[in-house]
Amino acid sequence: MKQIYICNDTITGIYSALYDAWKESRDREAGIELKGRTQQQLFCEYTVVEENQKKAIQLERMVKKHLGYNAYWDIYHALLSNDDRKADAVFCTIREARKIKDSRRIMEHLSNPDVAKVFELSRSVSNEAHLYQEFIRFRELEGGVLFSEISPKAQVLTCIADHFSDRFPLENWMIYDMTHKAFLVHRAKKQWVLIWGEEPDRRAAESISDKEKEYELLWKGFFDSIAIEERKNPRLQRTHLPLRYRDGMPEFAEKVVKTRKQV
Amino acid sequence: MKERIQAEMTLYEKLEILSDAAKYDVACTSSGVDRRGDGTGIGNCSRAGICHSFAADGRCISLLKILFTNECIYDCRYCVNRSSNDVPRASFTPDEVCTLTMEFYRRNYIEGLFLSSGILKSPDYTMELLYATLYRLRHVCNFQGYIHVKAIPGADQRLIQMTGYLADRMSVNMELPTAEGLRLLAPHKSRKNILAPMRFVQEKSRENRQEIALYHSAPRFVPAGQSTQMIIGATPETDYQILNVAEALYKKFDLKRVFYSAFIPVNNDLALPDLREKGPPLLREHRLYQADWLLRFYHFEASELLDEAHPNFNVLLDPKCCWALNHLDIFPVEVNQADYYTLLRVPGIGCKSAARIVKARRTGNLRFEDLKKIGVVLKRALYFITCGGRMMYRTRIDQDYITRNLLNTRERLPEGADGMTYRQLSLFDGEGKLCAGGSVK
Repeated sequence: MKQIYICNDTITGIYSALYDAWKESRDREAGIELKGRTQQQLFCEYTVVEENQKKAIQLERMVKKHLGYNAYWDIYHALLSNDDRKADAVFCTIREARKIKDSRRIMEHLSNPDVAKVFELSRSVSNEAHLYQEFIRFRELEGGVLFSEISPKAQVLTCIADHFSDRFPLENWMIYDMTHKAFLVHRAKKQWVLIWGEEPDRRAAESISDKEKEYELLWKGFFDSIAIEERKNPRLQRTHLPLRYRDGMPEFAEKVVKTRKQV
Repeated sequence: MKERIQAEMTLYEKLEILSDAAKYDVACTSSGVDRRGDGTGIGNCSRAGICHSFAADGRCISLLKILFTNECIYDCRYCVNRSSNDVPRASFTPDEVCTLTMEFYRRNYIEGLFLSSGILKSPDYTMELLYATLYRLRHVCNFQGYIHVKAIPGADQRLIQMTGYLADRMSVNMELPTAEGLRLLAPHKSRKNILAPMRFVQEKSRENRQEIALYHSAPRFVPAGQSTQMIIGATPETDYQILNVAEALYKKFDLKRVFYSAFIPVNNDLALPDLREKGPPLLREHRLYQADWLLRFYHFEASELLDEAHPNFNVLLDPKCCWALNHLDIFPVEVNQADYYTLLRVPGIGCKSAARIVKARRTGNLRFEDLKKIGVVLKRALYFITCGGRMMYRTRIDQDYITRNLLNTRERLPEGADGMTYRQLSLFDGEGKLCAGGSVK
């Protein structure tokens, strides 16, 4: 009978499930599915795996040791994506790595559909993370905290954390992921932390500092005057900066309001 | 000090005037240097560069691109800020530039500062102001992001040197491709004056590289190199002349980039061409960039792409296809044997796919399906390659035949440049290399 492990859609959750699946059923038919996103199948045995920090750390160490850092990087990014089959694809990839002579070269075996899937997911997640590095906009709240809200498809917060920590080491800033309800919080001169399941205090998030409006206005003015009228090209603009990223960007804020009124 | 009869401007008005005046500068790249923050200030740089927004014209906004002042003693005919124009004039103070840069940077609006300037009083005076601004930004605000600054032609070398240690990239604009054009449109500038600071920055960077080899912690001088820009279509130069100038700049001045800027008429001046009907020559600009890439990454020489008899690019086909069609004697090449440099010359094979081919064929023979996966654009490449001794389809190696087919594949032009083609024709002399051969009419 096929064994299916069900886990939370977090890195720790999936790592725990991968750990169990690897320990118990690496040699027989097995799969991993995400809680709340499973499709019931016949002739399957379901097991729910609890999140377990210890198992997750063990699995991370094992993957890094046997598949190498680059493959681990791809696997980690693939697991952040918004795809129902991601955990399964990673499990199959790890199993596939056993079959080949040099397991560290697993990510070169793109002819295997599961490896190709992991590769594709990892690429799309890292691309999205890169776009958020570009397009995130902070606003200054009362008290000087920089705050930003994003709604990414994948769980990109951990991918962009190091970049912004290196860039703004002396600032207090946080990024709220509205899709996954997670906070990335950085306090001045401290390490960043990830906080799950909290909602932002709406009142605090809307109370911006005195100077904030002024700088938004300045930026908008700059944005409008830097474009060359004779070369105007909204299609090109849309290719480079898709509409879904424009929500939190002050330079596009006015236009959003206009369209809402029309609706 | 010149007395000004106008009310004190707000920062908003200044920014509007001085960014509007800076928009014709093309370079907005933040690439070429990797630098992590040291934890005591603000900012870092990444080698590939980061764009933060895209303006309505589709160009990226990476840096806060402003002039320090648009008051200018020069009277260049193509420039909005020429001294004889009646436009509102404004100047920042170093403090204001620093505040804007820091506050925009904190909010992740920008990757750094691009500071250019009109010539206020004298080149030295202006350069000193730019230096003062950069000094303040680096040492008082502790800003570690990207800074691109203009070297003002005619300014003291010591000032340029000191500024270079604060900036990541420096540039001196060529403005126009030939000395002749410069004399005509920019009477106060001379070729010699422009090339002198360029040479100086080049020599300093070379020295600096040796210093860094000796002392790892030596200060970096213009670590992201220098760039320049030329206006295309304001003077009657041919593409061949322009490309030769660019090649010389890359080879003799170690430039990182040469930018081309399609001429946009902003002044009514008899010496300037009238383009109002046609719009800026965007397609020509695009072809020049394509050729520029061929020079920098594909090991082409300017003389291979164009010559005296055919001085302009073909409107209908990109420079690489044109070259291939004029050298059909070396095609088709066998993908499984040809060396990297030969592969690079095949239309439809780029640097990445050429490298992948060379790597992949070590483990086995490549077929056309594999080429497709590797990323080769087969609809263009198929006329020029064989795989295991066979071509993909039965094709003739015949200039007319291949040209006809390539024209059918529809080149993907950048959005905006495609609509322009029919209006562009009169700008070119209609004697692209192929036209002369009688195949494209």
